Amino acid sequence: MVKLKSLAEAAAMVPNGSALAIGGNALNRAPMAFVRELCRQQKRGLRLIKTAAAHELDLLCAAKAVSVVDAGFVSYETYFGLAGHYRRGVESGEVIANEHACYTVICALRAASMNVPFMPVAGLKTGDLLTHNDYFMVVEDPFGGQEPVTLVKALAPDVAVIHVHGCDEEGNAIIEGPKFEDVLLSRAAKKIILTTEKIIPAQLLKPKAHQIAIPGFLVDSIVVAPKGAKPTSCYKLYDVDEPALKTFLALENAELAAYLKKGEGWGYG
Amino acid sequence: MARISDIMTCAIANMLMDGERVFHGVASHLPMVATQLAKTGHAPRLTHLNIAGAVDFCMTPKAVYSSASDSLFQSASSTFDLGEVFDLSMRGGLDVAFLSGVQFDAQGRVNASVIGDYHKPKVRLPGGAGSAVLIPTAKKCILWRTKHDKRTFVDKLDFVTTGGNVYKIVTPLCIFENKGGQLFLDSIHPTSSLEEVQENTGFKLLYDEIKWTPLPTMEELALLRKIDPKDLRSLEFINI
Repeated sequence: MVKLKSLAEAAAMVPNGSALAIGGNALNRAPMAFVRELCRQQKRGLRLIKTAAAHELDLLCAAKAVSVVDAGFVSYETYFGLAGHYRRGVESGEVIANEHACYTVICALRAASMNVPFMPVAGLKTGDLLTHNDYFMVVEDPFGGQEPVTLVKALAPDVAVIHVHGCDEEGNAIIEGPKFEDVLLSRAAKKIILTTEKIIPAQLLKPKAHQIAIPGFLVDSIVVAPKGAKPTSCYKLYDVDEPALKTFLALENAELAAYLKKGEGWGYG
Repeated sequence: MARISDIMTCAIANMLMDGERVFHGVASHLPMVATQLAKTGHAPRLTHLNIAGAVDFCMTPKAVYSSASDSLFQSASSTFDLGEVFDLSMRGGLDVAFLSGVQFDAQGRVNASVIGDYHKPKVRLPGGAGSAVLIPTAKKCILWRTKHDKRTFVDKLDFVTTGGNVYKIVTPLCIFENKGGQLFLDSIHPTSSLEEVQENTGFKLLYDEIKWTPLPTMEELALLRKIDPKDLRSLEFINI
């Protein structure tokens, strides 16, 4: 089976309404080339899963691709300000924001990776998140302990998209530097799509088997996307592209549509 | 002359003790610099944890845009992922967590979620990130906010994202201390006054005595300039 696909072919594997987990964290190593292609293909009704989201989610909200977000934190950092498209989407009622603690996203993904319907979470004991959301529940300890137990419902992504530094043609993938939640995503999602800076010949990867973050047998599709995380950062290869982000944040909605339609992306695919 | 960002950074650094395990998340440049300052100075055995998983990294002169940034990684002594940091806090092993919010009440509870109704918000805020599990479990939570006005310190929160082990709240005007679930005025920055703090706080101030936040020493300021030459600690003051 040939796993290598074009960006367009791989993005076509994400049906409207999919639960989609996106790799990286905040402005680091988000699979942006893939996200831009999702926008061009005019996806609708996506359910996004991430601990801390930023530009990828904001762009998808700008393209009206998102209906539900399960995340602990959604914002650019500091002087870039809030994620305006996401925010307006939620405030207008087009997007449902399921606020998690970042940890409850992790626990919900752990549940999915183990194929159990929920996961107990220590620590989430107080506050309105417990009472306003149906994915948290406080129950008696079934083993007779005195303390009540908080449960979080499993989050099982249909697809996870992860940008990696390199992989072979089977998808044995190397992530350099911080892995964030990407290893967990690759175990929790039903389908894994990698976008990669480059293809590394399998015989060169074999001596590094212990450094493989995502084994190829879990991977469904691979897209070669050099600079595919831009304008977010990719460890040791490129930093956050601040001018590109500023340009995006200044775009009006109409300009955004035109720019995505032209398929020019940010010049990185 | 010390600026507000310097006063806040040094005050936070001085709250950290040698040997403590300290964590901060994204969008946390000021606490990141404060933690580095403490570790470089009085707390060399402090353990610095972060979202990138880079344990005990050293800030380099290279710009670190994101406080979850890749560049933190290059000087780390080991790796410890975010999920593991949370697990550590759950089992009582995290000493200090830095968190923030948009509204705080007199009980030191935090709203980082919404203004208005949760399901149909007037303003959707970024969300509490790790707050809802860290504030109840980390031994000391230090909150910081670069705004101090009546919309920030309110009589009633629009939404209670969380509450719990809040230790201190550091603002551009003062420092609050949580004593038994009630915020007390701990110290006022010498750049502000009791009147200014009260005018900008939506609940009545409680205090035992009036104390003043120490100004950074010349030594601290020199160290700050060395650790943080790009002035990341002041980033949040842009656009205010």
